[in-house]
Amino acid sequence: MSSGRLSLERLNPLTTLTAAAAVAVITTAAGNRLFSAAVFAGLLLLAARQARAASILGSSAAILLPFWTALLLMHGLFFPEGRVVLLEFGPAAVTREGLLFALDAGLRTGVFVLAFLLFSFTVRVPELVAVLSARGMPPRLGFAAASALTLLPAAGERLRRIRAAQEARGLVVGRSLPSRLLAARLQAVPLVLSLVHESGERAQALDARGFSAPGPRSALLAVRDSFRQRTARLLLIASAVAAVAGRVVFALTGGPQ
Amino acid sequence: MNGTVLAAHVESFRFHDADAPALHDVTVSVPAGSLTAVLGGSGSGKSTLARLLAAWLPGHHGGTLRGRLDLGAAAFEFSGTGDDPRIDPGAWAAHVAYVPQDAAAVLSTIKDTVAGELAFGLENQGIPPEEMRLRISETARLTGIEGLLERDPATLSGGELRRVAIACAVIGRPAVLLADEPLGSLDPEGARAVEDLLRRLPGEGSSVVVFSSTADSLCRAASHWTVIGGGQPGGAAYDGGRQLAVGTPGELLAGNALARSGVVVPDIAVPEGVPAAAAARTAVVHTAAPLLELRDVCFSYGAGTVDVLRGVDLAVRPGEVVAVTGPNGSGKSTLLRQLNGLLRPSGGEVLLRGRPTEDTAAGLLAADVGLLFQDPRFQLFERTLEREVAFGLGDCRRFGRRTRDGTARERARAALAAVGLEGQAGGHPLELPASARRLLALATVIAREPAVLALDEPTVSLDRPGLDMLDRAIAAATKRGAAVVMVTHELRYAEARAHRVLRLDGGVLEAAD
Repeated sequence: MSSGRLSLERLNPLTTLTAAAAVAVITTAAGNRLFSAAVFAGLLLLAARQARAASILGSSAAILLPFWTALLLMHGLFFPEGRVVLLEFGPAAVTREGLLFALDAGLRTGVFVLAFLLFSFTVRVPELVAVLSARGMPPRLGFAAASALTLLPAAGERLRRIRAAQEARGLVVGRSLPSRLLAARLQAVPLVLSLVHESGERAQALDARGFSAPGPRSALLAVRDSFRQRTARLLLIASAVAAVAGRVVFALTGGPQ
Repeated sequence: MNGTVLAAHVESFRFHDADAPALHDVTVSVPAGSLTAVLGGSGSGKSTLARLLAAWLPGHHGGTLRGRLDLGAAAFEFSGTGDDPRIDPGAWAAHVAYVPQDAAAVLSTIKDTVAGELAFGLENQGIPPEEMRLRISETARLTGIEGLLERDPATLSGGELRRVAIACAVIGRPAVLLADEPLGSLDPEGARAVEDLLRRLPGEGSSVVVFSSTADSLCRAASHWTVIGGGQPGGAAYDGGRQLAVGTPGELLAGNALARSGVVVPDIAVPEGVPAAAAARTAVVHTAAPLLELRDVCFSYGAGTVDVLRGVDLAVRPGEVVAVTGPNGSGKSTLLRQLNGLLRPSGGEVLLRGRPTEDTAAGLLAADVGLLFQDPRFQLFERTLEREVAFGLGDCRRFGRRTRDGTARERARAALAAVGLEGQAGGHPLELPASARRLLALATVIAREPAVLALDEPTVSLDRPGLDMLDRAIAAATKRGAAVVMVTHELRYAEARAHRVLRLDGGVLEAAD
């Protein structure tokens, strides 16, 4: 599990969740290219120090690379406000303004994605459920939050099984796009149906284990917390609120954008 | 110990949208501190009965019950109307715990250690941490899982998972534990551990009711049997499961109720390793060229991991049945997946009719090698039985329109008929009983008439008629010249059905002693 001095797994889940949200809010509110780049670089360094660095960086790349490519194509080539033309291809023109806009949006999204992936790959799900429950969140909501974090890996594993079952009965998945689309279409319905079927079974089992029972709950393990972490969470929330307030004030008064 | 802790009379239970009741005229009573068994073949309604007793079905889940449940002094009458009592599943489970066939279904999935999983039910009751720790260590000792407490539940073997599921059920100190097919899909070692545990529990204060399609040694230790049955769902004579007989094991073994219900009655007087009477086997032409060959096959699941297969050599000729045995985790399923290309050797080669298969896609090899998966749930993915068997039959370019393909539909129907499921062609695969589910998976394999049948634990959860159908399918395949490679932990079955029995241990395949 934990490794390295900067391992986020050692922190209280609320601290990492607050930090991820605060970083995303502050970066968006600041709207500053250099600040976004610095935060993004910092998050990359932090991700690289985690035990599951490869998974965090791999998942980030899988989400961000297609998104960045789309941004570049949309704003880099077709930016109506673009004035400084760098290259022209018929109706499309690469403009300085378009590229900078794509860079800004790309960095902000990058910070958002990386911050929340860092959280989701370093949080211990049982601890998250325990702290949410201890703060009065209904168990079903806490379970839904935990399931959201574990759904993707679970669905990925299920998809591999369905694909193996279909290949064992003659489905040939080629490298071409039509072949992949056909495979995706054949696997989508079984995936959804099997997840729905399993969730029905699971709901009964959870009920039988008293999950829906009213009344107070207890926790086997106390989730680590400390004065420093509590203070850090308050500071992070205050900073996020201040950043948003500053942004609104500047927008109203015409101050720095 | 005296007194009845749980009793039920099921006048009838009908699933929503079903034409016939799944169960009717069954009476069960569970004496305190007892081990009893409910025996029945596939479709007899024994899993439905287990769920009714566990309060997973009455009232709001899936069906209409007429009858009565008695728990201690409390009685619940059901008339199949909206006025029926609603049972709180959590409160009921504190007295009557249930471990379903699929033990993994009871896990919360939000705990990353077995200890956390055991604590889940206690946390929901608000039990203080010190008492929880005490109960966890007591239950772990009772169920023999002390060594597993810090393990991630997702990494447990079948036998370990079953014991953890039982531990989760008994940690609340229930008066009754209902165990549905508790020994299903376990290797001999895992089965022995679970059997020991279930035989010990009545002495610790929990009555145990075992639901099984096999009159195995665990059931023979029971003081009382209830046999239920009623024919194959979808069949002409089917009118739902009903009580066929009650009595002691001795009385019922002497009667014909077990045979009528399709219960498997193994001859447990003959120990493992003593060859059973050989079934009729196709003669193998030993001079014929091998249909399938493995040459020095090695395999590992990634760099730096242990080799699962280490230089495996195997040649199987037309009409030959080869059985592979070995302990859990010895790589038997991995070996079978090399045959149809779902896994590729990291060294050595696999040859089909003398030609290497390395450049052939798994989807193309499927025409020649049919694989029956160890767990049918991972093999079945369609919405109806007919769609399931028809998947991939006929022209591969017509995926998605396959049920409109007349030939494919005909072949699918014939395969369903071969395993006795033709009456349920429109049903949902995941709603079948375990035995029928495995037979459906078998139908998907035999429908293609492959040259090689690779069968992973084909006998698990099959009832008596199911085993007969498996035998017929293997005989029909070998008669037309197909080769069969089966992986099984049932040594006596392997010895009776296979021309050769091999053992895979430590990644090395050699003749069994």
